[in-house]
Amino acid sequence: MTLMNDSRQIILDTIRRAHHGEFPLPDVPSFSVPGDAIENFLSNLESFDGKAIRLSSRQEAIKWLNENVSADGKTVFSAVADFNGNFPLSRVDDPHNAHVIDICIGEGLLGVGESGSVWVTDASLGKAACALMSTDLYLLLDKNLIVADMHEAYKRINLRADPYGSFFSGPSATADIEAVRVTGAQGEISLTVLIYG
Amino acid sequence: MSQVNQVKLGARFIADEAHRVSHDRCLWAARMRRDSVAAVIPQWEEMRQLASEIKLHTLSHLADYLEMFEKNLKANGVIVHWAKDADEHNRIVADIFAKHNVKTVTKGKSMLMDECGMTPYLEKQGIAVYEADLGERIQQLDHQRPSHIVMPAIHKLRSDVARLFAEKLGSDPENDDPKYLNSVMRRDMRKNYIKVDAGMSGVNFGIAETGGIVVCTNEGNADISAALPPLYVASMGIEKLIPRQKDLALFIRLLSRSALGLNITQYTSHYHGPRPGQEMHLIIVDNGRSRRLMAEHWEVLKCIRCGACMNTCPVFRRTSGLSYDAPYMGPIGIVLEPSYDLHRYARLPYSCTHCGSCGNVCPVKVPIPKLVFYWRRKVVDERQDEPVHRAEETAMEIVLRNSTNFQLSERLGLWALRALPDALLESRLNPWATWHDNPIPPRETFRQYYNRNHKKNDTDE
Repeated sequence: MTLMNDSRQIILDTIRRAHHGEFPLPDVPSFSVPGDAIENFLSNLESFDGKAIRLSSRQEAIKWLNENVSADGKTVFSAVADFNGNFPLSRVDDPHNAHVIDICIGEGLLGVGESGSVWVTDASLGKAACALMSTDLYLLLDKNLIVADMHEAYKRINLRADPYGSFFSGPSATADIEAVRVTGAQGEISLTVLIYG
Repeated sequence: MSQVNQVKLGARFIADEAHRVSHDRCLWAARMRRDSVAAVIPQWEEMRQLASEIKLHTLSHLADYLEMFEKNLKANGVIVHWAKDADEHNRIVADIFAKHNVKTVTKGKSMLMDECGMTPYLEKQGIAVYEADLGERIQQLDHQRPSHIVMPAIHKLRSDVARLFAEKLGSDPENDDPKYLNSVMRRDMRKNYIKVDAGMSGVNFGIAETGGIVVCTNEGNADISAALPPLYVASMGIEKLIPRQKDLALFIRLLSRSALGLNITQYTSHYHGPRPGQEMHLIIVDNGRSRRLMAEHWEVLKCIRCGACMNTCPVFRRTSGLSYDAPYMGPIGIVLEPSYDLHRYARLPYSCTHCGSCGNVCPVKVPIPKLVFYWRRKVVDERQDEPVHRAEETAMEIVLRNSTNFQLSERLGLWALRALPDALLESRLNPWATWHDNPIPPRETFRQYYNRNHKKNDTDE
């Protein structure tokens, strides 16, 4: 324990001896992004191989899920109250078990126009593992929660409120072999965002 | 350790046309994409300037921000460790793993853990460490270090990967479709995720104000590594800190656009403490950084590891990252590695054409071109330069001392070109001639020609 604290002190003491002059902390203005936030969101999400489906209301979005998400022989986990899956949250007390999930339904808490990203948290996904280990991920997103850019997004988010929070932008992907883009790397293979309202 | 000869190692890659052309094409495509996504943001240059200023400010108040960061991390339930060097970092990790009886680890990409040589250290303790990023995993299976900080296996062709996966993972050696190869990796990693005891990752940004870390990936591998096991350990260099949450918007906007020409990474993930039932550790690592902070070349610490300088570098694109034989490669590598070991990396600052492109694309304005000159001066001052360079520079010092010496040298040069045998002119003593023909010697020097034809006219006027 003392050894560890020694290193802390040594590092901080060395750093304090460095002097290169005064460098004030500049303000970061909110640079505006041209175009309509929702239109930008749709085209950016698509550029990351995410799918967007627009629905008039939350009820319509749930109806769409009921009609299009087939539970036949599939393990469906839902983190949203108004849609039922067949795999309860208690089964992922140990998140390793999430690997059996085929379909995951989660709540999107914020959308970002400039990148097509959806802000999610551990709680909004049930558990992050449920979304990450699934094959097909569906996120519900109120269109009124789509902001123009990252500056606006970070103004709205309280990072300390959740242990895990992430901007999901399309399904997992890689371009590590000859820079050829392949979707469905380690995380979910497909991402569909249901935009309602 | 022996000195790294990037010219020699790079020449092998240059000679391999298929690999060189593919490598150059992939990286240049990333550079072009970077240009097009930057061009649609009118304030791009202003953003670079602000990002640079925020980094300079943070670095010049780093101790205070680190203390704030630590306090907030602890308040969020993160267990904080400090490591002054690579050995201490690796020991801390091993101790945590011993306490939790960890046998299987999956990890996201971390240049810092590579720098510390952590994986071989843990493997010696009987811990299986699986790189979970596709490119990094390819390199692990091939017993090579990453050749690029963002695209670790970009120097390989798909056929190389097909061969490697066939040998190590039992896949079809005839199928080199990247989609298929990715599915082989996915299937193999799922087996490891199911039994993973601890997840690890590097850190892109630490936020002092909120006491959290940000990890940016496209594959989701770091997120899975953190989300499944009851233990998550991240390592962060002291220079990765930014002061405020609002600063993050700027850096996130710059990072992936600069790296790959994409608006954002697929997963931009924020960790502010362990999830219920989990333990989260953060190791704050110095390993020479505080020494760098005190030195004249301290601005190198602004680097956010996007790799934009590599994608644009004419030397890097043709020689590949492995030719630098160091954890950090390309433009940022040649101004960073000498501060780890001046003797070993003394030749790296010479792998530069002075085109200045790295400095122009860097999202945080690390003055790489200026630092190249800094390190060359240092290399000469510390007498670590190559004997042939030293001889050349000593000779040039005599030649350029005064006009008499200079005029004599012109004549001597012409005489040498005429009189000396090709065997000598094209020998190893004249590395220039390896890739260039010597000029056909003119009848006289330019000065002789000028004096004969124009000098008289000039004085007439």
